[in-house]
Amino acid sequence: MKKLLLLLAVALLNLTAFSQDHAKDSVWIRENYYKIERYIPMRDGVKLFTSIYIPKDSTTRHPILMTRTPYSCAPYGENAFNAYWDSYQREYFREGYIMVTQDVRGRWMSEGQFVDIRPFNPNKKTKRDIDESSDTYDTIDWLIRNISGNNGNVGVFGISYPGFYSNMAAASNHPALKAVSPQAPVTNWFIGDDFHHNGAFFAMDGFSFYSSFGKPRPAPTTVGPTGFDYYTHDNYKFYLETGALKNLAKLMGDSIAFWKDLYAHPNYDTWWKARDARNATRNLKPAMLWVGGLFDAEDCWGAWNAYKAAEQNNPGKSFNKIVEGPWYHVQWANRDGTHLGNIQFGSNTSEWFQKNMEIPFFNYFLEGKGDISAIAEANIFITGSNEWKSFGQWPPAAKQDKAMYLQPDGKLDWTRPTAAKSFSEYISDPAKPVPYTEDVHFNRTRSYMTDDQRFASRRPDVMVFQTDTLKEDLTVTGNVIADLMTSISTTDADFVVKIIDVFPDRLGYTDIDIYAESDPDKTYPMGGYQMLVRGEIFRGRYRKSYENPEPFSPGKVERVRFELPPIAHTFKKGHRLMVQVQSSWFPLADRNPQQFIDIYHCSDSDFKKATIHIYHDAVNSSSVILPVLP
Amino acid sequence: MKYLSFVLLLQASLILHGQALNEDSVFIRTHYSKREVYISMRDGVRLFTSIYEPRDKSQKYPFLIQRTPYGCAPYGATKFPSRRLGPNRQLMQEQYIFIYQDVRGRYMSQGAFQEMTPAIDKKTSKKDVDESSDTYDTVNWLLKNISNNNGRVGIYGISYPGFYATASLPQAHPAIKAVSPQAPVTDEFIGDDANHKGAFFLMDNFDFMNYFDSHRMGPVQDYGKSLFNTDYTDAYKFFLDLGPLRNSNGPLYFNNQGKIWNEYLAHDNYDDYWQKRNIRSHLKNIKPAVLVVGGWFDAEDMFGALRTYESIEEQNPQNNNRLVMGPWTHGAWSRMEWTKFGSHDFGQNTSGFYRDEIETKFFNYYLKDKGALNLPEAYIFETGSNEWKKYDDWPPRNSTPLPFYLRENKKLSRSQAQSSGFDEYVSDPDNPVPYVEGAYRRRRNEYMVDDQRFASKRPDVLTYQTDTLAFPITISGKIFADLFVSTTGTDADFVVKLIDVLPADEPDPVPNPQNLNMAGYQRLVRAEVIRGKFRNSFEKPSPFTPGRIEEVKFELPDAAHTFKKGHRIMIQLQSSWFPLVDRNPQKYLNIPNAESGDFQKSTIKIYHEQEHSSKIFLPILNQ
Repeated sequence: MKKLLLLLAVALLNLTAFSQDHAKDSVWIRENYYKIERYIPMRDGVKLFTSIYIPKDSTTRHPILMTRTPYSCAPYGENAFNAYWDSYQREYFREGYIMVTQDVRGRWMSEGQFVDIRPFNPNKKTKRDIDESSDTYDTIDWLIRNISGNNGNVGVFGISYPGFYSNMAAASNHPALKAVSPQAPVTNWFIGDDFHHNGAFFAMDGFSFYSSFGKPRPAPTTVGPTGFDYYTHDNYKFYLETGALKNLAKLMGDSIAFWKDLYAHPNYDTWWKARDARNATRNLKPAMLWVGGLFDAEDCWGAWNAYKAAEQNNPGKSFNKIVEGPWYHVQWANRDGTHLGNIQFGSNTSEWFQKNMEIPFFNYFLEGKGDISAIAEANIFITGSNEWKSFGQWPPAAKQDKAMYLQPDGKLDWTRPTAAKSFSEYISDPAKPVPYTEDVHFNRTRSYMTDDQRFASRRPDVMVFQTDTLKEDLTVTGNVIADLMTSISTTDADFVVKIIDVFPDRLGYTDIDIYAESDPDKTYPMGGYQMLVRGEIFRGRYRKSYENPEPFSPGKVERVRFELPPIAHTFKKGHRLMVQVQSSWFPLADRNPQQFIDIYHCSDSDFKKATIHIYHDAVNSSSVILPVLP
Repeated sequence: MKYLSFVLLLQASLILHGQALNEDSVFIRTHYSKREVYISMRDGVRLFTSIYEPRDKSQKYPFLIQRTPYGCAPYGATKFPSRRLGPNRQLMQEQYIFIYQDVRGRYMSQGAFQEMTPAIDKKTSKKDVDESSDTYDTVNWLLKNISNNNGRVGIYGISYPGFYATASLPQAHPAIKAVSPQAPVTDEFIGDDANHKGAFFLMDNFDFMNYFDSHRMGPVQDYGKSLFNTDYTDAYKFFLDLGPLRNSNGPLYFNNQGKIWNEYLAHDNYDDYWQKRNIRSHLKNIKPAVLVVGGWFDAEDMFGALRTYESIEEQNPQNNNRLVMGPWTHGAWSRMEWTKFGSHDFGQNTSGFYRDEIETKFFNYYLKDKGALNLPEAYIFETGSNEWKKYDDWPPRNSTPLPFYLRENKKLSRSQAQSSGFDEYVSDPDNPVPYVEGAYRRRRNEYMVDDQRFASKRPDVLTYQTDTLAFPITISGKIFADLFVSTTGTDADFVVKLIDVLPADEPDPVPNPQNLNMAGYQRLVRAEVIRGKFRNSFEKPSPFTPGRIEEVKFELPDAAHTFKKGHRIMIQLQSSWFPLVDRNPQKYLNIPNAESGDFQKSTIKIYHEQEHSSKIFLPILNQ
């Protein structure tokens, strides 16, 4: 989540082990740029604090590249420079860009009232009708009029929450705005980003983020909020012992407005719909480059779906493209894109993105320089085979959806099961929820998205289905549909479906000695590794509608069908494809009391065990529908 | 098990190639001469024996003998070991006549090998031989044929050689003055290696017998290959895929070529086969001084050390018998250094202390009349407080077994439940509880001290804990679990784990290479399994009646541990411990013959009510 971004920014500032080059860049930027800080007035009179880095070179005109952020444009002070030289963004300085960062309305040093994921207003009538889009419009307008030496072209980019503001910026359609790159944009906090996935509450991320980020800021300040003081750094223990969500709310206190909003809107109501950033994807004039990470634990959903909405809402638009790499949240902007957790990508995918996608994109649209013919409609990194692929559309035209059926005896294959009656059964016990990752730890890991799932396979409350050893490579590109036939003994349940690549027991794996397990601190046994390729959770009550949840009838067979975020992965010959099904994913997602009651206000005593059946017979067959690339 | 010492020997020869090693190697060559002989036993069988004699003939020396099934390598009168001779470097430098002998039927010795050779108390002819007689005959020959001996003999050995040390005690040759059985294999059905309380130690047995059970046509210096090749990285997966125990005799594995393996499978209760191999019943009229040594974290033969000492004590109250228990894995007391293990930091070199203050003094005193011996009856390292304690008895007289009751709401309490109640779980042989977190090929030694939070999170593990301790509690001695259970099946395993829960402010170590998260760490102190059908008798197993409440009471290996103020005492209960222990089909039958289809889920209830109060007795030390 965004908190991570903040931590990374701090980490970047603190990193000392930098080469001579970076020291030189630091000197170069200070010698060739000056920084000003300005309050830019919006149409309603509220002024937004803005840091502007301007090249001293006045022989040519320069484009403007802006990020709007709720995380502060620190360091404050016209003599305090952000450490751009520690990042690939030094390339924009070398290119002579005017670099702008703005505190969004109501955060840090800006005036006004902050509203979380402020709804986009397509019908602004008066100067009081403001939104993030109008704030961006007003800012751009001011910049091109007041910053001398600008070339009249503006770009906006940002990651995560700033990705949301980038999306809103695009919808401003200021004529000077030529190129926008929303990256891991927060898009829909009910369906798939950050706070909820398919209605299941991501309590751990939400709490750790909003216990500091959500605190009120009564007046402009350069000092950030303090975080929560946890009594234990074992997050599984903390959230289990805290128990029902209403207890978590007590710990949060009552000053955090958005937390109360969350509790007041358990379902996908008009409040949530107004906060869907896809509302701001119509009539987009700037060139759009959407960027996301296949293993982004926070906003994996946003990039894919905002891109898709922009495609649907802007038919014929010449430049609306997407890049998706094998990345954790923000990894594409970092130096090391070679691996995530135990999974190696075979090349520095982040550097490739920076050099071949983002920088050429802005240079072309803001300076008219270079060549963007290498940026395809969809530029996707395929894990497993570890290669970048270009597609003319996403999902690829050639993909074919094929159902992979869950079978009796833990098998998985392409043919529909034939047994007259067959199901797998497990007890989902809210007192012993399935951990989302193996190790005891405090902060939600980013590598859980590719972690070994063997620890889960060993549990009685995790159902495991796997194919025989694959005889040829199987490449899957696009959304996966989970289509479960289930019955439960209670009135609600969660369903987590995990798509897993099972590595061979013996395997030559890049740079890892799989038999060096005698020193487990240094290596990980990759033979038999169960790599999570995609996992997603669905809160069963929403199986027919996110707006109007419905209880299950105990014992009645029902369909639970939902979409997992897209995957781009090759299951290689000799590997196996595995599907795991479980009913908790803790403490990533809150526990379902397994009763059809208001989860945000129920009590500890409302949490019940449920016996869950997953059917795999001729009548009730469960499957995962895979978009197979021939 | 015996396996580890084999691996350790290999590793030692591979790893210990530092300065010290070269020094030792030079020392051996310059101070010792070597010869190899065959010594005839009373029945005519000849045992291969390597003899290392001090070159300095100005004084007489005692013998220190190790008898072993693992070979006397290096073979050849001109080949010298690259590591130390004898039990430790100090003793090597003191100079003894060091003897290594291949036991009957192993490596270069003649005769037929028997697993844990049954002892014969009353020998009626020269054909009645056992390890005691073989040791006797060997000592006899040595006294007569090796010049410059002082007429005294010491015997020592770790693990299987520890058994041979114990086995020398009954009817010992009068020249044998001092014997140190260390982690001695003692009873392989009740508590060592092959089985614990009738539960089959699958992973260790499988790996060890693949090596140890391979064949020889006659005396050999090298057995060559193991019986079969295995090729896996994740033991949990391998053994789960292997299926029922009977599949171990499939063509890819033992294929009925393992003699001992088949003996193990053929004897699935405490029958004559196992009873004959229980050396404890023969430990009478013991004359030599005895120093029994064991490790609190010995995954193989902790039982043997504790119960060998106990058995000698009970049957020979006058014998000069002592016990040393340290914070050691199998044989770790023989390492040059042992200061840390898992998340433990003992703050001192515990093996160095043992070597200098205990083992060296013991042999010097009894075999050379050298020095004073002020060893206590029991020299016990107390974990938690990390202190050596001296006791006049083991268990200490001032330790009292006190019940800690499993209570409602997962509490562990000194007071008994007044109401009725139970906790339940489903034990599923398809998803057995792992003995360790993570994927490993070999048995991970640290499992005995590892964080049990991975297990707490499972629905098939019950967890009970005390409140935060307001004052420290030290336990020293025997631990008993006394469970009242019912099951929907007709057999079940019960694993009881005693855990020290560290406080929320416990700091992580600095540096922290293992990436430990110590706050709230659930450190295993002691664990044991019983195969439920043996709850009333190991000789005569009996099925459970589904749904009927029955008592399952059993002993865990001893412990000496301080639960500090601010910690909690936790008990975990579960019905599998895989692949350490094979899966119980949860149906009353001959498990080595069970088929896949025999394995069934069971719902197991653990009762906490007045009539059926499940509890654990902890030996509380009054200080």
